[in-house]
Amino acid sequence: MTETASLFDTGGYNYDDVEPLPISDDQSDGLCQILYDDEYRQVMGIARALFKNQEVSDRALHATAETIELVPAFYTMWNYRFQIVKQLFGTDEAKLNAELDWLDEFTLNNPKNYQIWSYRQALLGIHPNPGFLRELPILQSMIDDDTKNYHVWSYRRWCVNFFQGFEHELPFASALISRDVYNNSAWCHRMFVLKSQFKSRPPADLITTELHYTKAKIELAPQNISSWNYLRGLYSEYLENTFDPEIIAFARSFVADVFELPQTPPQILSSYALEMLAYIYSQDLETFAKARCAYKALANTYDPIRKNFWDFKIRSLKA
Amino acid sequence: MSSQSFRTANYINAQFLGRKRPTIEVIGDEVEEMRSLPVSMVLMSTETTEDREHVMLECQELFESLENTKVVLLKDFHRQYLDFSFSNSLPRQMKALDASQPWILYWIACSLRMLNRNWLTEDVQRKIYTKLFGASVQKGPFCGGYGQDPHLVCTYAAINALALCDNVDDCWGQIDRQAIYKWLLSLKCSNNGFKTGTTVGECDSRSTYCALSVAKMLNILTQELCEGVAEFLLRCQTYEGGFGACPQDDEAHGGYTFCASAGLAILDSLQKSDLSKLAEWCSARQTAEEKGFSGRSNKLVDGCYSYWVGAVNSLLEIAGFGSFIEKTALQGYILKCCQSSERPGLRDKPGKSPDYYHTAYVLMGFSLTEHTFEAANAQKSISTLPTAKETQLQPVNPIFGLPIDDVSKFIAFHSKLPSVH
Repeated sequence: MTETASLFDTGGYNYDDVEPLPISDDQSDGLCQILYDDEYRQVMGIARALFKNQEVSDRALHATAETIELVPAFYTMWNYRFQIVKQLFGTDEAKLNAELDWLDEFTLNNPKNYQIWSYRQALLGIHPNPGFLRELPILQSMIDDDTKNYHVWSYRRWCVNFFQGFEHELPFASALISRDVYNNSAWCHRMFVLKSQFKSRPPADLITTELHYTKAKIELAPQNISSWNYLRGLYSEYLENTFDPEIIAFARSFVADVFELPQTPPQILSSYALEMLAYIYSQDLETFAKARCAYKALANTYDPIRKNFWDFKIRSLKA
Repeated sequence: MSSQSFRTANYINAQFLGRKRPTIEVIGDEVEEMRSLPVSMVLMSTETTEDREHVMLECQELFESLENTKVVLLKDFHRQYLDFSFSNSLPRQMKALDASQPWILYWIACSLRMLNRNWLTEDVQRKIYTKLFGASVQKGPFCGGYGQDPHLVCTYAAINALALCDNVDDCWGQIDRQAIYKWLLSLKCSNNGFKTGTTVGECDSRSTYCALSVAKMLNILTQELCEGVAEFLLRCQTYEGGFGACPQDDEAHGGYTFCASAGLAILDSLQKSDLSKLAEWCSARQTAEEKGFSGRSNKLVDGCYSYWVGAVNSLLEIAGFGSFIEKTALQGYILKCCQSSERPGLRDKPGKSPDYYHTAYVLMGFSLTEHTFEAANAQKSISTLPTAKETQLQPVNPIFGLPIDDVSKFIAFHSKLPSVH
């Protein structure tokens, strides 16, 4: 057994003819030199030698996997791996599926990695018959594990657009909101669906359903920026920012009698309800006084850390 | 249950019973009204509220224990952390950053420079450019390390690190601007964003900002490079007011909001975004209890957003729009929660270890609280006024993430060089 074999899991391939390359430039690496361990030097050195020759082979593919296991963020090896896969597998569906299987396994062990998702997009781009159903389990388990993982949500939206498969999305978001009503990623996903699924605008009954859904979730947890932002988003995106008496009454049900008793501020259920009311009242000259009253209450009592912003809104009323 | 015992119960839940219970929709007996508060917390306990309660408690403990102490920025103490890193090798577990080496240099050098212009010595500056050129394709574009592929965000970090080197040994004149320009053009995508590399790589507001920043710094920001880029970034603004990664209604996020806003500022197009919503979103990132910023709605406070969100606020100041954050409160979070006298360097939040990334962005965020930015003048230069009599840190340029002086000198140098094609 050579030393190579003890540090590098060769996966049954023969690398005896490969002379490992140095992984740092000893002349220039003076500052912040990383103390590489021998395993890393060995594995990376072999992979770099293959990379330098642009070798396209099964053993090169294996070598990239070994390096990526050690440092998942090593994008150069992801690039090299993609070149190998493209040339070695072509449009062979079974082989590309095996690559996706490998990637699934890797993803589950490295949930925070950046490179996985653009690599995955690139793979689906060369796959002859990519399928959304193939993607759903890994997306589900990644989100189950880390419900606000930014890269996973972003990749999911990319997939939905790529496959034009919207039918799972609102139920998926609803399940996560049931689990945690404060999950802003899930709320944003609803807006993504509304904006992306329909060519011009979503059907009116869907907007109505969304309004009911959101109001019910607000009743459950009134002091929640996510649901209130979404509610306001529905109005600004799809309802021409026109607020009917019903939604005003709804918002007012969370702010006690704050408009009647500005001098003795009552305890309220939601500062976001008051913010929405302030916004609504700021849309019409006739209700400026109420808007000012709400913004002052926010600045002085209910959300004073944002005083600069509330004062700005009060100044804007004059314009 | 009183509010105090409710908090204690939550703390015990979080600490000893595991924070992430699989299914959490407990209403019933955990619904608690805190009658003393102006906004009654009808608390529905979920993962989000449990995680936050835990952080709030840790911050609260620090604020209380330091209530009567005048806490200052421990500049000499943090210098130890930075100097040590520049005079010793990095431990083997730092191989996780093997493909991000220009970032390490930029974060450490920028932190030193923010603390005191003279703390970045000429000797270290020489070592910085030597290392960076060693990790480049013939002095531009730059890679994560020796022998690696060029990468856009590494090139951004490398250019910023070089800008901190005062053109020692004419290192600025050696950068291959023409090659970087051609390479940037090759990274431009059909949606007018830039991707991080030619083979595989993400194309989002972060990589696009990096391309714009590099091009602006090197004076290679041509019409062709800029074409349609502002529109790409503008499409990343969401209904919440902040910006997301990609123009597909990705969630508004502090890091991407900085990237998109600073990119738009470079293109002189920030005013084309919805500034009022942007201001609203920035101000909503700051919470009364922790006093620092979160990066997204209903996420936890993190010291790095002192810069990411703070810089967007400064860009709004420069645009003449106003300032929407509470700078003194943010200083409180930084000094009391991101800093510990037990260990040099700055951190994300109590309970976390300091690292280079947080040290750099927490310091730059602190600097933003010490200065007020002025509306751009005719020359488009950025000027600042200190908010207090004495400032601890150099003023930072909120577009490029570097001390203002270093940006000005670097851009002035490259403005005299011939144009690229």
